[in-house]
Amino acid sequence: MINLAGRDVGNHLGRYVLTGVGLGLLIGVTLTMAGVYRGMVDDAKVLLRAVHADVWVVQQDTLGPFAEPSSLQDDVYRSLLGLPGVAEAGNVAYLTMQVKHDGKDMRVMIAGYTPGSLGGPAFLVAGRPIAQSHYEAVADVKTGLAVGDRIRIRRHEFAVVGLTRRMVSSGGDPMVFIPLKDAQEAQFLKDNESIVNDRQRLAVNPAVNRPGQPGVLQAVEAIQTASHRVNAVLVRVREGFDARQVADHIQRWKHLTAYTTSDMEDVLVAKLIATAAKQIALFLVILAIVSAAIVAFIIYTMTMGKIKEIAVLKLIGTRDRTIAAMILQEALGLGVIGFFVGKFAATLWVPVFPKHVLLETTDAVAAFAITLVICSLASVLAIRAALNIDPAEAISG
Amino acid sequence: MVDPMPPQRPAILIENLTKRYGSGPTAVDALKGVDMQIFPGEVVGLIGPSGSGKTTLLKCLGAVIEPTSGRFTLAGDVIYDNAWKRKDLRALRRDRIGFVFQAPYLIPFLNATDNVALLPMLAGVDNAVARKTAVDMLTALDVQHRAHARVSELSGGEQQRVAIARALANKPPIILADEPTAPLDSERALGVVRILHRLAHEFQTAIIVVTHDEKIIPTFKRIYQIRDGRTYEEAGEGREV
Repeated sequence: MINLAGRDVGNHLGRYVLTGVGLGLLIGVTLTMAGVYRGMVDDAKVLLRAVHADVWVVQQDTLGPFAEPSSLQDDVYRSLLGLPGVAEAGNVAYLTMQVKHDGKDMRVMIAGYTPGSLGGPAFLVAGRPIAQSHYEAVADVKTGLAVGDRIRIRRHEFAVVGLTRRMVSSGGDPMVFIPLKDAQEAQFLKDNESIVNDRQRLAVNPAVNRPGQPGVLQAVEAIQTASHRVNAVLVRVREGFDARQVADHIQRWKHLTAYTTSDMEDVLVAKLIATAAKQIALFLVILAIVSAAIVAFIIYTMTMGKIKEIAVLKLIGTRDRTIAAMILQEALGLGVIGFFVGKFAATLWVPVFPKHVLLETTDAVAAFAITLVICSLASVLAIRAALNIDPAEAISG
Repeated sequence: MVDPMPPQRPAILIENLTKRYGSGPTAVDALKGVDMQIFPGEVVGLIGPSGSGKTTLLKCLGAVIEPTSGRFTLAGDVIYDNAWKRKDLRALRRDRIGFVFQAPYLIPFLNATDNVALLPMLAGVDNAVARKTAVDMLTALDVQHRAHARVSELSGGEQQRVAIARALANKPPIILADEPTAPLDSERALGVVRILHRLAHEFQTAIIVVTHDEKIIPTFKRIYQIRDGRTYEEAGEGREV
């Protein structure tokens, strides 16, 4: 039997392919949106995986340090080291801020960690790790910085000594790793006017500046200007111990909240990017509906352009299923062209996006299947119209 | 004087066929009791003014619409008998009725051979056999040299001949030709009629030609006039073409 769909398409191949390309661009947008979501999830998880921590210890009853503020004393890690199953513990402080480079602002996530301990970059692609206690930084390549560049974080200049890759915050900001003490200072540092103002307030406060007791005022001032707080303590579990049990143990005895890496991933995906994910999901649904409507409209128009031919086909005894198969195959053909054009287009334009866009093969396979389902459903309208064409229309009168 | 009928079973036998559109006071009787019989190998003209019921009769004969009452027998098989009708009218149209229209209505995305071969293929004939049949039919109509041409590359006359070849592809006992010469000039119109007469004789097919064309009416030996939904048989000139 002649493949009617193939012949029909061949008869106006240019128009058909152009229609498929148009649909493909729409599918490309859909794939990109899915990639944006995957990129967000991946960005959220990449830091958790990169620091190689088994347990994240945060302020009690918080989802910190990314989903909620979390503040711990920086000596908590010492008590954690004494617990069974804890092999290593390291303080970390995170803050998102603008840093200056060459007079330009860039938005980064500062990660403070103790060099040589947990919380640092997973690997370097250039330069060396932080070796000094102060004013050295390792930056993600996405910052555009190079080894030897200098950046200004608050009052201090930092030398970029190393570069890492794929280290971004859940918001997609590239990370800059600096020593913990510098991060603590940057986090809690006040401007000079504010410090002077606070000193004057304390000086006139009779509760802390009692006559004959000058040491009290100095002690309070020292407490206010110094920072000994971190956002989380990362724990690596000793071999043979279960991260869940260690986390439960920390939670029970230390009045802290402890998450395993898996818990933390759930927190980030389910809490931090949940709204954005819903937004993208809704957009994907709308795109799917628009795509379906466009395919339905195109196939319907193509079918209505062949009323006389279909009437003749029916008059000369063509079965309904042959006509339906012709329309369905043309719709599926559009979907196949559209999918491959869309995949190609998405692959082309994804590197231009400022944030990480992750095109997963599984998503592409799912998108292909969904495209075919949408095209099949979209052809129903045209098939119904074609099957309703009266063969008598082929006979004049 | 009408010629005596050949002593054989009619290809088409219509007895008191009626067709009513609508119901109640607005009902229209398009056919009011048509009688007709056409024998294998005959080419019969069906003429009449606009609105006389020609197209309705053609649609009934083409098993496209159902008559309201009456009896239609095709090569001995009863197709309609008052309220009763044969079940698979689609297969009947495919296998036993050929259609030629005013415009060729070829399938534009198929070439000449495939337009003709489509019918036997739809009937389940092997592709190679169907294509061989198509080439034979195109040869019979003297358009074999255009076998692989697309429809848009064929002239009007060639398209009409391919359409006739398609109508003959399954060797049906009847062909219904609706104004087949309307778009053609005199010479080509007579050429088409010549072909119809030849093929009717060669394939023993009964052909009904609905026409207004004064040039071709004298070529029929028998003519059915249709007026106000009734047919009147007349003898034609039967002029040689």
